[in-house]
Amino acid sequence: MTAAPPVESAPAAPPPPGAAARARRGAVLRRLFAGEGFVAILIVVYIVAMAPFAQGLLSERNALNVLSNFWPLAIIVIGQTFVLVLAGIDLAQSAIINLTNTVGALLVTQALEPSLFDKSALWGSVVGPDGGPLGGGGGIALAVVLMVVIGAVLGTVNGLLIARLKMPPFMVTLGTMLLFSAVAVWLTRSENVPNLPEEYIAIGQGRIWGALTVPAIIAVVLGVAAHFVLSKTPFGAWLYAAGTSRDTAIISGVPYRRVVVLAYALSGVFATIGGVLYSTRLEAGRPTLADDLLLDVIGAAVIGGVSLFGGKGSVLGAALGALFFVVLSNSLNLLNLPFTVVFIVKGLVIVAAALLDVVRNRILGGTR
Amino acid sequence: MTRFRTAMAGVAALALVTTLSACGTTTGGGGTSTGAATEDISVEVGADLSGKRICFGFSGSETEFWAAGIKSISDSLKAANATVIEHNSNEDPNRQLEQVRDCITQGVDGIVVIPEDGSSANTIIKEANDADIPIGIFNRPPATEDGAAIVAVADNRDVAAQTTQYLADEAAKLGRKVQPLIMVGNLSDQNAVERRNGFYEVIDANPDLFLTPIEVQTNWDAATGQANLQAAVQANPDIDVLFTSSDFLFPQIQAVLEPLGKWKPVGEEGHVLMGGLDGDNRACGLIRDGYVDATGVQDLFYEASSLLEALGTAIADGETDPDDTIVDPGFALTSANFDEREKDMWGCVITPPSS
Repeated sequence: MTAAPPVESAPAAPPPPGAAARARRGAVLRRLFAGEGFVAILIVVYIVAMAPFAQGLLSERNALNVLSNFWPLAIIVIGQTFVLVLAGIDLAQSAIINLTNTVGALLVTQALEPSLFDKSALWGSVVGPDGGPLGGGGGIALAVVLMVVIGAVLGTVNGLLIARLKMPPFMVTLGTMLLFSAVAVWLTRSENVPNLPEEYIAIGQGRIWGALTVPAIIAVVLGVAAHFVLSKTPFGAWLYAAGTSRDTAIISGVPYRRVVVLAYALSGVFATIGGVLYSTRLEAGRPTLADDLLLDVIGAAVIGGVSLFGGKGSVLGAALGALFFVVLSNSLNLLNLPFTVVFIVKGLVIVAAALLDVVRNRILGGTR
Repeated sequence: MTRFRTAMAGVAALALVTTLSACGTTTGGGGTSTGAATEDISVEVGADLSGKRICFGFSGSETEFWAAGIKSISDSLKAANATVIEHNSNEDPNRQLEQVRDCITQGVDGIVVIPEDGSSANTIIKEANDADIPIGIFNRPPATEDGAAIVAVADNRDVAAQTTQYLADEAAKLGRKVQPLIMVGNLSDQNAVERRNGFYEVIDANPDLFLTPIEVQTNWDAATGQANLQAAVQANPDIDVLFTSSDFLFPQIQAVLEPLGKWKPVGEEGHVLMGGLDGDNRACGLIRDGYVDATGVQDLFYEASSLLEALGTAIADGETDPDDTIVDPGFALTSANFDEREKDMWGCVITPPSS
């Protein structure tokens, strides 16, 4: 037996001049296109382009307005990111907001007009003329905890239906969106819940110093926590794996059902907290508070690079997408455009973002 | 590839819904006038607002009253040479708050708002007060008296009571106890609360005439009102008196009563005594034709004129936190006084803008 002679490979041909530079440029462009940098640049370019036309766009007051609108939306979009990464969708976020903010307001309200609320199912048991049971002191914190728990439970219900019964996320969350919203309306017979305590309102309006507000702190803390969960924990890795390929993830040992349930629970929790901020800045619990919010949430997530096909997206991207959406709405208002035009522009932006998502997927393949 | 196409189709549908929902719910968004009324329905502002910028936010124009009110305010401000920045929040209080904040960013000289409801009115007043900009609230009063604002509002309770009293007088002629029904508005709106209170004021004062009233919730929504009325009439077919908290619901009432043979003019067997509130064009026609017995009239032009005059004066005087409530006494237009008071009801004298 003789050993086969080693195969000598032919010397590689030298790359054509400039090829390396082109490849580097291509890689940089791909990274830019894939990452959050693209959205950040888009925001800056958009603001610079709009500033001469939108009066007050760059003023300090407007910056505070934009931030006030940004924090709650960013929280909700980050919550949606968990399920979008999983290749799911949570249409019920708006209904979870409607239900939890209404329940929370009922728990903490300090007075209710009997003629408006005496037909509520909770009248005489949970609420009465003197309001809800948790209207003062530590009751506020307990009420918020209860709201978050309810949000988590509602999200878990969605997750269980999707994971255990293998139902399509779109249909499940569409159904529960109607269900949860109807319960919110039923609880108060469509009435808004007023007379909220100052401590509760401070959650959405509390100002610490300059632009540093209570909503800002809540949003940043939640954003950092979500980023940690998505990028540094096994759960985050499972989420991306399951979103990229469900079957491969299951074969690889990812506890798929648990991941789905947890992702929808987190979506419910984030929606609840974002809803608290919206509710408290309007100083009332509202069973229809988030009826028009869903398009902004999905649109912002997609603009932020969270793929509708699953497996891609980041907290920073989601937050930047929310910022872009808020800046867009703000600038269109400052241009004093009719609201129909504002809706048309938003609709076109959502389509453009979806197209961008498709292009990204084709260019980048499996890159996160 | 299938997933790509499915997702793209979903998003395209989402975007289409966004666009269509904007176009389909109400007309006449901010920046343009609300409709095509041929009449000039501007009112006297009493001040030259040249060089002044007024933010005008409203929550929708789904009824004749709101469409006419919006057009009247907008046209009146423009006639006074103000630059009007209009924003339609499409019934979203969060959006309305953001729109008013964006107006404040632009340094407007005054704000006029038709709020979504009483509690959001208070939040918006607070924003205006903090920015030292005078604000006027048209027809939908704040939930509390916190904050400084010029509020123009009808005496809804009294107008509703006057209307119901006419229905009671007519019902007494039947010589028996009668079954009343009230279509209630969204009770987070103080207007709806007061109209309901006015109705009950008369009902409670005539225990020998009225049975316990049937309440039908509408939430100021035509479809909800029609569905709930249908159910109520099926359960209680012997309705004698019907009071709707807003005239815009008469088409829905007709749609429910007509198939049951209960949509009959005054004098015919089976006529249901009917009253409303607002004083719109449709109610005017129905009273003229004998189907409706009375309606409470809000003096839209008085409210708009008084509000804008007070706001114009505050702006001219540099007053940043005017605080006043202007009450429109209103009146009941009935079959009995129709000929003499028809011209006093806005719905009888203008063709309403498209709503």
